[in-house]
Amino acid sequence: MTALLMNYLPIVIFFAIAGALGAAFILAAAIVAPKAPDPEKLSAYECGFNAFDDARMKFDVRFYLVSILFIIFDLEVAFLFPWAVALMKMPHPTAVFAFWSMMGFLGVLTVGFIYEWRKGALEWE
Amino acid sequence: MTPVHLAALAAPQLLLAGASLVLLVVGAFRPKAIRLVAGLGVLSLLAAVGVVAIEPLGRAFGGDLVADQGAAFAEAVIYLASAAAILLGQPWFARRGQARFEFPILILIAALGMGMMCRAADLISLFVAIELQSLSLYILAAFEKSDGKSAEAGLKYFVLGALSTGIMLYGVSLIYGFAGGTSFARIAAAVAHGASGGVLFGLVFLICGLAFKVSAAPFHMWTPDVYEGAPTPVVGFFAGAPKLAAMVLLARVLTESFGPALAQWRQILVVMAILSVAVGALAGLRQSNLKRLWAYSSIASIGYALIGLAAGGPEGVQAMLVYMTLYVVDVTGFFACLAALAREGRPLESFADVSGLVRQRPGLAVAMTVFALSGLGLPPFSGLWGKFYVFKAAISAGLAPAAVAALIGSVVAAYYYLRLVKVMWLDAPEGQIDAPPAEAAGLAYAAAFFVFPVVLIALMALDPAARAAALALVQG
Amino acid sequence: MSPQLAVTLIVFAPLAGALVAGLFGRLIGHRVAQIVTTGLLFVACALAWVTFRQVFGGAWPHAFTVTLAPFIHVGRFVSDWSIRIDSLSAVMLVVVTSVSALVHLYSWGYMRTDPHRARFFAYLSLFTFAMLALVTAADFMQLFFGWEGVGLASYLLIGFWYEKPTANAAAIKAFVVNRVGDAGFALGIMTVFWAFGSIRFADVFPLVASHADLAWRFGSAQFRLMDLACVLLFIGAMGKSAQFLLHTWLPDAMEGPTPVSALIHAATMVTAGVYMVCLLSPMFEAAPVAKGVVTVVGAITCLFAATIGLAQNDIKRVIAYSTCSQLGYMFFAAGIGAYPAAMFHLFTHAFFKALLFLGAGSVIEAMHHEQDMRHMGALWNKTPITYVVMLLGTLAITGVGIPGLDLGFAGFYSKDAIINAAYVASATQGTAMFAFICGVVAAGLTSFYSWRLIFMTFHGHAKWGAHEAHGHDAHADHGAHGHGAHTPHESPWVMILPLILLSVGAVFAGGVFDESFVGGDRAGFWGSALSATTSGTLLDQIHHLPQWVVLAPLAVTAVGFFAAWYYYIAREGLAARIAARRGLLWAFLYNKWYFDELYDAVFVRGAKALGDLFWKGGDKKLIDGLGPDGVSEVSYAVGRGVSRVQTGYVYHYAFVMLLGVAGLVSYALWAFR
Repeated sequence: MTALLMNYLPIVIFFAIAGALGAAFILAAAIVAPKAPDPEKLSAYECGFNAFDDARMKFDVRFYLVSILFIIFDLEVAFLFPWAVALMKMPHPTAVFAFWSMMGFLGVLTVGFIYEWRKGALEWE
Repeated sequence: MTPVHLAALAAPQLLLAGASLVLLVVGAFRPKAIRLVAGLGVLSLLAAVGVVAIEPLGRAFGGDLVADQGAAFAEAVIYLASAAAILLGQPWFARRGQARFEFPILILIAALGMGMMCRAADLISLFVAIELQSLSLYILAAFEKSDGKSAEAGLKYFVLGALSTGIMLYGVSLIYGFAGGTSFARIAAAVAHGASGGVLFGLVFLICGLAFKVSAAPFHMWTPDVYEGAPTPVVGFFAGAPKLAAMVLLARVLTESFGPALAQWRQILVVMAILSVAVGALAGLRQSNLKRLWAYSSIASIGYALIGLAAGGPEGVQAMLVYMTLYVVDVTGFFACLAALAREGRPLESFADVSGLVRQRPGLAVAMTVFALSGLGLPPFSGLWGKFYVFKAAISAGLAPAAVAALIGSVVAAYYYLRLVKVMWLDAPEGQIDAPPAEAAGLAYAAAFFVFPVVLIALMALDPAARAAALALVQG
Repeated sequence: MSPQLAVTLIVFAPLAGALVAGLFGRLIGHRVAQIVTTGLLFVACALAWVTFRQVFGGAWPHAFTVTLAPFIHVGRFVSDWSIRIDSLSAVMLVVVTSVSALVHLYSWGYMRTDPHRARFFAYLSLFTFAMLALVTAADFMQLFFGWEGVGLASYLLIGFWYEKPTANAAAIKAFVVNRVGDAGFALGIMTVFWAFGSIRFADVFPLVASHADLAWRFGSAQFRLMDLACVLLFIGAMGKSAQFLLHTWLPDAMEGPTPVSALIHAATMVTAGVYMVCLLSPMFEAAPVAKGVVTVVGAITCLFAATIGLAQNDIKRVIAYSTCSQLGYMFFAAGIGAYPAAMFHLFTHAFFKALLFLGAGSVIEAMHHEQDMRHMGALWNKTPITYVVMLLGTLAITGVGIPGLDLGFAGFYSKDAIINAAYVASATQGTAMFAFICGVVAAGLTSFYSWRLIFMTFHGHAKWGAHEAHGHDAHADHGAHGHGAHTPHESPWVMILPLILLSVGAVFAGGVFDESFVGGDRAGFWGSALSATTSGTLLDQIHHLPQWVVLAPLAVTAVGFFAAWYYYIAREGLAARIAARRGLLWAFLYNKWYFDELYDAVFVRGAKALGDLFWKGGDKKLIDGLGPDGVSEVSYAVGRGVSRVQTGYVYHYAFVMLLGVAGLVSYALWAFR
């Protein structure tokens, strides 16, 4: 039991250091730093300009669309790497099955890609 | 196992997957050919029913996918309900200028997911199947883009669905961790010698996640809002097929992998069942919107089905299957009625809307009366037979108190069923009602005709089929 | 025709008629409905006379039972639909079908202007069927069926003119008062089943001797089961036969059409109690206490009803109280054990009382629905045939005859047999002397009120001519359609014919059947149908009595006649002046001994107060409040609560879900320990 727990000791240490460091900075700032607030200091920092808008603003929804579509293909690649590495090491029948499985997967993705293309999801305007 | 054999065992899924991909491409290039896509979608669902009927039985993909009578029975019902949803929904959206070819395809994909839920024999395939189905349903709920309520319904469904998925995944991971595997057979082996606390905790979480899908209390909160906001034909679909799929999945998980822990999960199910019946009956009392009302009605119905499942054994599962099948017809028919009724293009949704309906649309009023009385469980309508199976199973399993509690719930719920009948038959009508569209009215009449008297004959076929299905589910 | 088929036809012919007229009355019209029901009744009547002849002629078995179908088979409790034929039921078949057939015919005339004639005939036939089922019952269950069946028909017929509130009230009163009796009757049947384990007469009677001393211990008291059963059964008979204490419904029942009064409330249904006591004579013979009760109640009724009859002015009510009184005779005859005499009086009474009622109906018809005798008078030459038959009926009921020659009207034979038997019985039974005295006094009163009726109606001065304000009693409304505008007229032949036929019975029924019923032939006549233990000795001795006993009834009858003549002919108007003075005795009699007032104060108001208590306190507050209303209130409130949780906010929903998970996990933790 202890042996198992000992394996996790570095993580505990890691947690401890992270926690201590974070706390230390906040405490130090609160204790050491001089405090003389005025409105300018408290306003949002905007590269030397006066702030002319709320810091929270709307993004165009198309950013999300692009990012989601990106993630799909990103994941596809993440699947492809291990598959490519493992494929050749498999016995023959399994390898064939694995090959066509991935082709099926890619096929489905391709259909989705065709759809989003035809729908114009990839066009900005 | 040859690829051909594998393909044969997953034939309906392959068929539906292929069909949805092909139709997606067709739609992408010919966006106006909506009727074509819808027609082909219905045809492929019907073809899937045919395939289900004739395909070989067995297990594929290392046992992750099961083809047995249990799956076949449920899938046949689900695909038929999905076909009905397309038939009902496509013209409905067309009438309101919202027709899109994605609708039939989403139904197809949902049906694919539900079919897989019926066949899943592994926690991974279980999860994938549920998510495939759920994601389609989220989109369907928000399908009427211009309608704020529809969007709200979709968003709520999605957010809460994500939460339930999280709960379920947590359970899955617990089970995996303590049982040492994801396949049902492996879990069964681990549970056989006494389930450890961790597995049981995982099981409770898993049940909670699935309870959300069937909208059993206390995971029912999304139901009224989503039913109210989502387009009517979509609600008809929501209320029926996905719940049957989830119930079958639940039955398979519980009996196949957690069979020895029957005494434990039974208690959980009974609590949820009684809660569902109580919530469905009590909260329904004050509803004025019929879609919301039927949401509560469906919550109560799930309570009865859960009692059947809690009874366990072939008899209990059979009761659940019969009950759910009859319920799917009932609820599909009811929402077909609602889809058929409109006043100057605005659908009728409240008690006030349908007052005096019998004087203007006697046929549909009679059909709705039939569905209401069936929901109430009045002889000789189909609802009675479903409840009869459930109570019989419950009593022979020693769950008589639960059955009594459920009956009391029925008595309370009688108020709103009878109120609907009273409003339709006795109150004064207001305003002219549009001519009902043929497909919705036809579907409503067909369902009403099934509820009574066809059910009396259909039960003769349904009873042995459901028993075979239950045996297959229980014995794995 | 086989005996079985014949008797089955007798019983079911009226039912067929009732069904045809009742269900298809609108379809086939009044005339066809009348013809069908009356025709079937005459067929049944003819067959009944055939049965009577064949059974007593010896051509058919003296007693037999036709089992038609099972009724109730539960454990040892076995009852069948059956037709029991023996001397007793054969006599009753004749009485019931004859009177019923004639009443059907009479109703053609009497009801000829009624818009609901088909329904009326259906009810009449239904009643006849129920009565026949009653008299042919082979077990207590069918007896009870017939008992309730005639009660139902009686209710329907009393309330036949349902637009009349008084008729409805009378119908309800008859039904409710009969319920009291029926409760006793049902308890009696249960007691019989408890004691004997069977309710079939054929099983029970042979066991009476061995079971006679069974007792039921209740607290410190002991009851002989036989007495208990017989008293309870007699309570049923009291209700149906309008005996003292349960008699109040009969006079009110006169609200029904007159043919109904003749058939049901004179000749047949009200005699069912007497019939039952005679039928159960083997049991009553083993129950001395019950016999005493029967005797005393019968005797009291006999006298008491006669006294009330003295002061009534409604022609039908006079006859109704007369019926009540005559039933008293029958009961005390049965009570002292002279069952044949009771049945004999039942038989003759059926003819002359039906005659009197139908005659009264004819008078009422002639007077354009005037029933108050004070507005009649001098009708004898306006309605000569009615007058003659009424005279014959009166002679019959007052029992006019010549004792030495043994020659007289029907009542002479049967009533004198009863009075004489009572005198004989008084040697051994204390109550019989009481009955004898009551019987003799009542005979005199009978004579007085009967002749009073004749004199007031047919003699004296005509008071129907030009009097301006008619009657002040409740029945004045009958005269609403302008009597006085027409002169009284004789009734049509369909009404006269039954009167003539019945008067034949009233004159000869006594003389012809005297030997068979109570005379030397009675052993062969009754066979085993009546218990002969007491009646044998009683009836043998009635021909060897002191002269004064034999002459006493006749003497008081003569006194009654002359008193009536004095008050209503010789000094016409004297009676009216006495009435106008409103003396105590007169008021007591006129108001029927204040029984209705007493019952109203005690039972009706008491029950209503109790009912109000249970209704408002028990039912509304307690049961409804905690039951349906309370539960629905709570459900509704909880429903509102549950709906209120449904806020529409996703975070609330998610919170509930998480609560649910937490709750279920905790529950699992607790449940799986």
